[in-house]
Parts: sequence; C-alpha cells; structure tokens
Amino acid sequence: MNERHIVETVFNNTLHKGGIEMKCRRLLPLVSIIVTMLVVLGPTLGPSQAAQPANPAFTFPAENIAIEVWWHEYGPFTAYVKELIEAYKKVRPNITINPTIASSTDMNQKLTVALAAGTGPDIMDADASYYVAYYTKGVLEPLNLDVFGVKSYEELAARYVSGGLASGTFDGKVYTLPYQGNSMSLFINNKLFTAAGLDPRKDAPKTWKDLMALCPKLKQVEGKRTVRKAFEFPYHSPRWQLQDLQPMTEQFGGKILSDDGKTAYLNSPETVKALTLWRDVTKECGDPKNTKNTASNPNQDFLDGFTVMWITGPWATPQVQASPIKNDFTVVGLPQVDPANPRTMVYGWAWGVNKNRPDKNKIVAWDFVKFMLAKPEEWLAKAGFVQPAKGVSETQVAKAFPFFDAHMKDVQTATWYIRSENVNEIAQAVGRAVDSVVYDGADPKAALDGAQAAVDRILKK
Amino acid sequence: MSALASIQPRLGWNRIRLSVTAKQALFGYAILLPTLAIIVIFRFLPMLQAFYISLNEYDLIRPPKFIGLENFIDLLRDPLFLNSARVSVAYVVLSCVPVWILSLGLAVLFNRQIVAKNLFRSASFMPVVMPAVVNAVVWTFMYHQDGVVNTILGWFDLDPIPWLRSSKWALWAIIIIGIWRATPYYMVIFLAGLQAIPHEYYEAAQIDGASAWRQFRHITLPLLKPTTLLVMVMSVIVAMKVFAVPLIMTGGGPADSTRVLPLFIYQTAFEFFKMGRAAAMSVFLFAAVMVFTLFQIRLFSHGEE
Repeated sequence: MNERHIVETVFNNTLHKGGIEMKCRRLLPLVSIIVTMLVVLGPTLGPSQAAQPANPAFTFPAENIAIEVWWHEYGPFTAYVKELIEAYKKVRPNITINPTIASSTDMNQKLTVALAAGTGPDIMDADASYYVAYYTKGVLEPLNLDVFGVKSYEELAARYVSGGLASGTFDGKVYTLPYQGNSMSLFINNKLFTAAGLDPRKDAPKTWKDLMALCPKLKQVEGKRTVRKAFEFPYHSPRWQLQDLQPMTEQFGGKILSDDGKTAYLNSPETVKALTLWRDVTKECGDPKNTKNTASNPNQDFLDGFTVMWITGPWATPQVQASPIKNDFTVVGLPQVDPANPRTMVYGWAWGVNKNRPDKNKIVAWDFVKFMLAKPEEWLAKAGFVQPAKGVSETQVAKAFPFFDAHMKDVQTATWYIRSENVNEIAQAVGRAVDSVVYDGADPKAALDGAQAAVDRILKK
Repeated sequence: MSALASIQPRLGWNRIRLSVTAKQALFGYAILLPTLAIIVIFRFLPMLQAFYISLNEYDLIRPPKFIGLENFIDLLRDPLFLNSARVSVAYVVLSCVPVWILSLGLAVLFNRQIVAKNLFRSASFMPVVMPAVVNAVVWTFMYHQDGVVNTILGWFDLDPIPWLRSSKWALWAIIIIGIWRATPYYMVIFLAGLQAIPHEYYEAAQIDGASAWRQFRHITLPLLKPTTLLVMVMSVIVAMKVFAVPLIMTGGGPADSTRVLPLFIYQTAFEFFKMGRAAAMSVFLFAAVMVFTLFQIRLFSHGEE
C-alpha cells in the first residue's frame, strides 16, 4: 500500500462515507497515527484538507455518474490531474471522470462556445480573470458548502491567505477555487550575475532603482547587436504586459481598474509614472526588439541566458531547472518603488462548476474539486503551482521548493490580476500603449490617453 | 417498388412526357442537389446568420439582443476598427501588386525553354503547399536578430532589422511572406493562360519584326486579360482574408501595426466575445471585397466593350 493509497483511504473513510462512520471510528486511532506519520515523514504530504471533519448532512450520490472535466494543457499539470482522476476512481468507484485538455490560449473560447451550445463541462478550468465574465453570464455554480464541510464562505476563506479566494468571490459567494495563485517574482541567473562581479544574494535588487543601477554591468552590446540583456519586460503578450504594469501602478499608489470593474485609470498620474519607469528601465536594461519569447515559450530569453533577470512565476521553476541554468538561479521579490510598502500581483487559474448541469453532477463536481485541491503541497511538488492556501509554507515540499518563501512573500502582498468582463480588451489597450512607448518612442501620457479612450468606449457600453 | 407504382398514377407522373434533354437536365440537377444542399447549409446559411447577428448584441452565452444598425454605426467611429481596415488595405495593396508582377514575370520565364524548367517550376511551388502555420513558424525564426534574413543583410554590411518587433517593419515582414507564398500560386495560373495563347500569333509577329517587348505588350497582355482578371480578383480576396500568419507571428502587434481586419474580427469574436460586433466587421469586409471585385470586373469588361 503506497502513501497515496493510504491517504485516499483516509480521505474516503473520514470524509465521504457518512453511512459507515462506525467502521471509520474504530479505525480512527490507527488512521490518525498513519496521517500524523505521513505528514511528518512523507516528503510530499503536508497539512491536507482531507483531514477536515466530515459534514454529517452531506450525502454523496450513490448511483453511477459521469462528469466532464476540462483543463488547459501544461505537461506536469496534466500528468498530475490524470493521477488525481485515477486516485478519485478508487475513492468513488461509481464516478467516471471524462477529461478534455485544450491549450491555454484556446481554453477560454472553447469553454465559452461549449457553454453557449449547452455542451460545457461539469468542471471548468479558466484563468481566474475570466471568471467574472462567466459569473455575469450566469453559468457558474456557487461552491457547495456541504461538500466542503464548512458553514460559510468565510470559514472556507479562512483556510487561505488573505484575499486568496478574492478572484472567485462574487457578491459574497465563492464560485471558483484557485489551484494556482502565482506571484510574479524576479528570477536571476547566478552564473551571469556572478560573472559581472555581483553576488546574487547581496546585490539582488530590491527596488527598480537598484535594478537599473545593475544594468550597465550586466547588459552586453557588440556593435549594434545586443548579446545579453540585463533585464527585460514581456512583449510577447498584452496579458503579460498588464501583469507587470498593474503592480507597478499600484506601487505608485494607483490602480488599473476600480473594484467594481466599471472605471479604468489607465491615464492616471500613477499609471503614467509606472509606464515611464517601464520605458526607462527598458532603455537602460533591455532590448525589446530582440527577443525569442513567445506566448508558448514566454521565458525563452531567460532560459537561453540571453536575459539575466526576468519576472516570472514559480511555475517556471521546473523549466529553469531543465535549462542550462539548472539550479544556479536565485528568486527575489518583485522590485518595488518603495520596499517599505510592497505591492505585487497574483494571477492564476481556478476550477469552477457549471451551473447548467444536473444537481447530482454538481455535487460530484465540487467533491472532485475538493479532492483535487486537498493537498496543496502536491500541486507545488508536481506542477510547480502555488495554491494561496495557509500552511503550505510549513510543508516539507515547500521547504524543498527553490525560493518558496520569496514567492509566498510576493503572494502575501499581492492583489489579483484585474477582474473584468473586458479583461482582454483592457490588456490589449495596455499592450498597445506599452508597445507604442517602447517601440515607437511615444510619450507615456499620450499613449495611455489613447488606451484610456479605448477602454472608456468599451466600459461605457 | 409496388408502393411507388401505386402512387404514380394518382400523381399523374405517367402522363408527364419529358424530352430527352429535359430528362438529362433533371438527372444533372438531381446529381447536383446534394452538393448544392451542402453549400447552402454550410456556406450560405451561416453567412445569412452572420448578417442577422451583426444587428444584435451577442456574447454567445446570453441571448442575442436586437440593436439594429448600432454595431455598424459604432464601428465607423471606432479608431481601432478604422486602423485595422487601414492595415488591411495597406497589406492588400503592398502585397498584391508585387504578386501580380512577379507571378506574371515568373510565368513568362517558365514558359520559355530553360534548363531544368520542371525542377524550377516544382521548387518555386513549394511555398504554396506548405501550411500557413509552418510558414509562420519558420519565418519567425528567419526574422530573428540572428536569423537567416538578418545574416544575409549582414553580408552587405546592413544592420539587423527587428522585423517582428518594430511597428515600422512588422507589416513589411508579413507582406514579404504573403508575396513569397502567393507568387508561385498565381504563376501557375498565368502559366496556364500563357500556354493557351496560340503560338502562331508570336510567329506572325516575329515575321513582322516585332520585338519581344512589343509581342508581350500587344499579344501576351491582351490575351491574358481574363487570366489577369482572375488573378487580381483572387489575390485581392485572399489577401483581404490573411489571418494565420499575423496571428502566429505578431498577434497584431507591435502597437496594432499588423492587426489586419480578419485578425481583429477573430479577436473581437473569440477573445472579446462580441459576436454582433465581429459579425458587423465581417459584413464590412464582405462588402469591401464585393465592391472591389465588381469594380475590377467592370474595369476589365469596359475595355472589351
């Protein structure tokens, strides 16, 4: 009996078989000892939600039910979800789970078209920033409190770091649960940093000024060709550009969008300052006309050693380790305007349940979501995803994960990526402004005035 | 069979006398019917549906809301749409004109007796058979700072060009691919047109002492008129619909410099989920192509009259 099987048995017996609780009670001391041993000794097991007490009111469907689960393609993630499906089959033999996998770029449109055609899955996987559109279109089912054994959404939210469920909470109800809430932190190539006479531990930048001061030492230009960039912002995707501009704007005390998503502040003085800083950093440190980063390989320049410092998420760690950089890298917090008042950004993907499915399917769907998310430490170990759940930092996996504390620190000072039905159009407008400043030398204020006008047109409708 | 026999007298089918020609025509229509049905169901009905959707506000999930011509009026005031239309027109003009000239020139060349003619013809046709996605990926690498294109420029002491990362150059990068891909295709069409011109005309002109240019000007070009019309109409329509290459290579950037209309329609429909607005853009695109095509046909038929 392997560790996973033991835990599945524990999960099965302690949580979901209300009718045979007597048997469970007899086994409870033994089970408790096993769980305690696994938590302490097991390298991949930690404070799992499987140890939560069962809700006696909750009855799981006894008949055979098949549910559809869709998720976006990412090798380690797909492998882990498939593993979870196999494990769930043993816990719930009457449930069949049919998976569908789509590329991350196609998922939103496939999902929307399927939901429109009434053929959407029971469990959907989407970028957290898209769920507001699904919510307003009425296709999301609120989280089933009975399945999760909690009395209120607040009780559930208490299991997460502050604001951890904010991306999927609408009008006081939780509709989606994140399986990754990624910080955007600064990755440093140690070898190239050291070659410039710098120490990655002592000299790692804390502020944007620090970062700019390092660039002359790290950037290499031969004739008119840049052969090494000290640092670069993303230019392969408007969504990534917004990922960086949003926390920079907040560091200056502004914001991109109002909380209700109805007002944009793209040409506010704070956003203008942020884009001006972006431009200045780029001039000093980067060469945006020269990059191999693409939507499918967003970290390529860093992996190739072409960029020394790069902002990305913890999920990039396995890619970095598989690249020539191997483990010779450092991760530090996102550079700040004022380190005493840090502002960062968290983005991620979350599971949601389709409202327009039979009630029993929805119970099964939430039950499977709960099962999947029960071990945040496994998500970290197997997919490199950080769930914004409490207690993850204390697990052995987190302690073994490179620079987990740096990632988690950034998560704790973060606001979620903006939520809006028009998030893609806002990102496009921001991307257009950034491009025109960086590539065409436009004035940041004028570029952002254009972006503001475009977004105002959209939001006015 | 017996059931059919019993109804036939009631319908009076046995009294219908059809000529052999009519029977043949009926038979022909019967064979055509399934194909016509497929075209109507899968081509024309969706087009009609698009016209209807263009009059609605529709996000795919919520029911469509009729708003009349609002989408069309709004588009005419939308700087993003107008910019996209401008980019499309620039792409069409700057790619089609070189394609016409190059494809005709290559066709004339390959119509002559040259060494390894068939080998060159086949080799030049390769870009056409290569999928657009493959083209886009290969050219992305070729356009990189250290890619083939900049390496060649380097041989002539020219600085590397940021082909895909400059709003000044990105559209040209897309146009070059369009020309490279379309030229061999239209060359084949021109070649077919050239081979249909009787050789006796050229022999007579040579006897009369006409130069090669005069033969080309007064025999080849006039007799290639129908082929030229076909090439012009087809190339403009294809260029107006360019989509995969900008989508993969630039996503419409930098700063919207390569956001051609079909790409903007796609993004509006499937990234912004504004189906009514996207349908209205499609109607504009359809109208533009139709007007241009009619204009070209009129232009060419005017000469014949």
